[in-house]
Amino acid sequence: MSETLSETAPELSATVMDLPRRDARDKLRGRTRYTVDRVRPDMLHAVLLRSNVPAGRIVKLDVEAARNAPGVRAIATGHDAPGLYGIGIADHPLLAIDTVRYHGEPIIAIAAETEAEARAALALVELEIEPLAPVLTMAEALAKNARLVHEGWRDYEVLTEGGAREGNIAWEARTTRGDVDAAFARPDVKIVETTIRVGRQSHAPFEPRTAIGSWENGRAHIETSTQVPWTVRNVTGRVLQLPPGRVRVTVPPVGGGFGLKFDATIEPITALLARMTGRTVVIENTRQEEMATCLCRENAEILIRSAVTADGEIAGREAVVLMDCGAYGGEQIFLSTMTAHTLGGNYRVGAMRLVSRAVYTNTPPNGAFRACNGVYNTFALERHTDEICQALGFDPLAFRKKNVLGDGDLGATGQVFEGDVLGPMLERMDGLRAVTGTAEDKADGRLYGRATTVGTWFVFVGPSAATINMNADGSATLVTSGVEIGSGTMMQSLPQIVAGQLGLTPDQVVVREADTDSAGLDVGVGGGRTTVSIGAASIGAADEVRNKLFGFASELLQTRPEELELVGGRVAIKGRPGSGIAISTVVQHAQTVSGPITGTGSFTGKPVPSMSGCAFGHMIEALEIPVFVVHEAEVAVDPDTGHVEVLAYRVVQDVGRALNRRAIMGQIQGGVVQGLGYALHEAVTISVDGRIREDGFETYRLPLAGDVVPVVADLYEGAPSSGPLGTKGAGEVPILGVAAAIGCAVANATGKQVRELPLTPPRVLGLLKGRETAPEFPHIAASFEANTLA
Amino acid sequence: MDMREGPERIFDSVATVAEAVDARAAGAAVLAGGTWIMRDPRRGVALPERIVALSKIAELQRVDVLDDRVSIGAAVTHAGLAQAINGLAGLEGLAAAATGAANPAIRRVATVGGNLCTLDFAAADLVPALLALDAQVELMVADGGRILPISTFLAERAVLLKTALLTRVIVPRAATASAHVRLPLRKAGDYPVAIVSVARASGGAIRVAVGSVEPVARRWTALEDELSGKAVTPEETQALAEKTNDFMGRDGIEAEGWYRREVLPALVRRAFAALQKGGAA
Amino acid sequence: MTVTFQLNGDRCRFHDDPMTPLLDVLRQEKFLTGAKAVCREGFCGACTVHVDGEPVMSCLKPVGLVSGCSVTTIEGLSSGDQTLHPLQAAFEAADVVQCGMCFPGMVMSLSAFVRDNPEATRPEIKTAMSGNICRCTGYERIIDAVADHLEAQKSGRQAKETAHV
Repeated sequence: MSETLSETAPELSATVMDLPRRDARDKLRGRTRYTVDRVRPDMLHAVLLRSNVPAGRIVKLDVEAARNAPGVRAIATGHDAPGLYGIGIADHPLLAIDTVRYHGEPIIAIAAETEAEARAALALVELEIEPLAPVLTMAEALAKNARLVHEGWRDYEVLTEGGAREGNIAWEARTTRGDVDAAFARPDVKIVETTIRVGRQSHAPFEPRTAIGSWENGRAHIETSTQVPWTVRNVTGRVLQLPPGRVRVTVPPVGGGFGLKFDATIEPITALLARMTGRTVVIENTRQEEMATCLCRENAEILIRSAVTADGEIAGREAVVLMDCGAYGGEQIFLSTMTAHTLGGNYRVGAMRLVSRAVYTNTPPNGAFRACNGVYNTFALERHTDEICQALGFDPLAFRKKNVLGDGDLGATGQVFEGDVLGPMLERMDGLRAVTGTAEDKADGRLYGRATTVGTWFVFVGPSAATINMNADGSATLVTSGVEIGSGTMMQSLPQIVAGQLGLTPDQVVVREADTDSAGLDVGVGGGRTTVSIGAASIGAADEVRNKLFGFASELLQTRPEELELVGGRVAIKGRPGSGIAISTVVQHAQTVSGPITGTGSFTGKPVPSMSGCAFGHMIEALEIPVFVVHEAEVAVDPDTGHVEVLAYRVVQDVGRALNRRAIMGQIQGGVVQGLGYALHEAVTISVDGRIREDGFETYRLPLAGDVVPVVADLYEGAPSSGPLGTKGAGEVPILGVAAAIGCAVANATGKQVRELPLTPPRVLGLLKGRETAPEFPHIAASFEANTLA
Repeated sequence: MDMREGPERIFDSVATVAEAVDARAAGAAVLAGGTWIMRDPRRGVALPERIVALSKIAELQRVDVLDDRVSIGAAVTHAGLAQAINGLAGLEGLAAAATGAANPAIRRVATVGGNLCTLDFAAADLVPALLALDAQVELMVADGGRILPISTFLAERAVLLKTALLTRVIVPRAATASAHVRLPLRKAGDYPVAIVSVARASGGAIRVAVGSVEPVARRWTALEDELSGKAVTPEETQALAEKTNDFMGRDGIEAEGWYRREVLPALVRRAFAALQKGGAA
Repeated sequence: MTVTFQLNGDRCRFHDDPMTPLLDVLRQEKFLTGAKAVCREGFCGACTVHVDGEPVMSCLKPVGLVSGCSVTTIEGLSSGDQTLHPLQAAFEAADVVQCGMCFPGMVMSLSAFVRDNPEATRPEIKTAMSGNICRCTGYERIIDAVADHLEAQKSGRQAKETAHV
């Protein structure tokens, strides 16, 4: 493999390596300063007064006593930041004005000399809220004559056109390809229907959302634990009604994100209070606040129906996906797009129509979480696939091998998939299983089940910029808006890529921490995009640097630029390592002749065609870089208690090209375990007063060391990718297929239909004892068309 | 965190039981390991204004293993208890409770007294283990001490602890074997949703105690009566447990009452299987 | 009230509420931010420090209870330019770290464990980690590194013993 690699892409031999992390030593010694470690005694501490009801009108808000309390320096209310923000729809105020829409919604912010003083002042605020009957579930929100969570929904500014909206339906995305009615009417098909309900998942990053705002020379400077410095900049500008250019965002190392930090939340409040006080202001969510207002992976309700022939051809498919966006649209507006690519992925389907609706409720807003939307839609699709196999008597693995997407097959929006990837990956899983063997003997009298499932994901490409400054010592400084959230992209992939391009070693590449004042636009760390988008922009910057180095060296060496290469820290004559001249010498020469050598690069994804007239309300109509996974789980279910033990877990993952196998393996182990948490342990429930009940680590059960197994993974290389050097994002997708594989394995072990998550011991025992019934959705109409606003 | 507001907290780190009892009488709250009380602010409860710490009272840190009983000081930690009674025949269940509770760092700090005196802690591991072993507790007030059965203590502790200090737990070495089966929802690290502790006395009499299912642990006397004088297999005990299951499971965020009740017979079977093998589990 | 204790080898005085969590004294008074405040309830282990050589959760430890004790934080485990603790070195070499927030606590907890349990098996290592949560890594590589470290220590000891014979 490595031989053919270096033949087709010689620069890869210098790029592919198991580079260790440059940040590991400081992290291990406790020296790394995350945002939360940067609080100094001279900062003001701000705390938020939050709503203690899920819905109501503010009838009295008197802050005079609080304003006069000891140590208080400023109090901000919604009127101080009247701009609304959002994704797609601007529906979200920074601080509630007049109306509260969820339990925990911030209403005012108090900045004081100490946190204790700020909290003491909070108790002096006179707040009266006239409660309204809350809309807590999607069934309530979609009921006839339901109270509107946003009475003024029609008046909101639409930031992205195209989605259908009405009342409590914040956004609707719909696809239709082919004649689905005709497919379902065929005489040779059997119709199988599955209903699925999943709960929320809380990210629980170890560093809570924390921001430090200051006001410098008439501009806001926010130092924050975020994945999206540019979003924080733009949202802060919007709500404070400032040009976004008057906001600077810098990002220290981030102590875990997983999607939670893909939106602005508390950051603009620190800027507002800094402007009011002229002081630096910190807000740090307590763990309780962090979890009670977590922008969770959304709860969802899914109905999926397929028409399948006796030969195992999927003639038609339709599905309704309801996604709870909570009190504000946020990320779910965008994520409604994803159903077409996740639920509509995996299989070749004759005709298909899908609708996904983001629904407002009076619950804490949901957000993005690693493989958003895909995790539960893959669970739904794979469980549905197994129910099809059961109904028609197919072997589930053979059915998948026959029907998975291959070269030239159409997706839900009419996108044409390139290359046979999932089919060969299923074969590779057979090979992997043959090597590892199975673990049935470890079931030890319990109910044993195994399942193999597939998944379709993508790289969310989007714009990135990079600058490389060459230094006189021959090293390079890479300046981007990329953020290190723990996945290692900024610490491993990018130095490897740049070093490989410039003939340096990775330790000669300095990576600048994100600062919106020094680097160009970037849409943030998420969607597995950093290696791809920032990597491509960095390669662009390196190209410019390389051309300049060749230009100067060509003169110095009296050799044509085409005959030069960068290798071993030198501009060398091709094929003669050690020849030529040191890069440092060329850089120093250039500095005296025409100035320092720099290069810039930018990148954004190229649109991939879909069929016209298929997709409505979609922000992404086709996947630029699809990513596929095959997951296989073996479980033992305790028939006495409902405990599910994972006995073995195997993954075949499409990585395009692996630049650092060891780092990818680390992402796979971590992502699978987060998926095991979602599938088996991590429950978020809403109380009758609209509160997230699991607001600490006692009740929100994250997987512990004893609950996990070593994941065995095979990295599948060579699938088509427009990413730099053939890469694809590898950090996001490992979680995608876990709930599907575990859910199907538990169904196989118990002989029961698994239709809800998480599969906690009480739920599984309930299944075994017949206490659990299939979810019923009276708010989803029998006819597909009745579930759309079209 | 600035605590300089308001009157300064009184914090007495005393050296003797008598001083601790005096401080208690003066209204001080007892601080042993602190693992429960330190979470009070998180629960929205203010920390007490007056505290008496037991950590410097040597006699409360001792475990005395005698021929007929084991005396355990109230400030002995879970880890200390596990180490002291490891391998003692008949006390396998108590050792398992001390070894399995919470996580290692908490076991190094959380005390026997704290486990018994925390009124809101339904999932305490040591309580059912001590019930099964028919332990007694020693309480001290200003005018002296008294020893009472743990079941009496549990029934009256809310009132008793208003004035008294729990100083010792006395475990008779009457059992030939005991076992402790706990059911956390993960492998370990969370509070068990149900606990079954069993002990067999040298005469063959069986005691069964259940924790975490109801708000306070209690003996399963209906099952003990059924078992009385019979030689039964673990499977038969499960059937008897199903027949005599008179528990009203408490609803909690982590599990509903039905589940806690439903798993009990299987836990009984496991406990008796462990008992057959000589305890622990 | 004034509490006096040894902190990373130096005498340390704290004059304030003795019920202040040790964690807050470390982070807010001494600016030792290696111990992390994550759950503050004794479940995650990110705030683990050694008190008289034993790992405990500093979030639940009132500073009044460490009077006269010796406290070692992650900063004190290998300070300045000192070489890493062998377990830290093992974690670094195995590319174990991701976001890194749990590792100061993980190191403090497991460094005491490997000291006290040189013969520990893989399941025993897992059991010892039930109070240390990691949200990023999925644990197994940490366990591998601990097991490899114990193995290396063992061969080191055996080599020494052989040399003495």
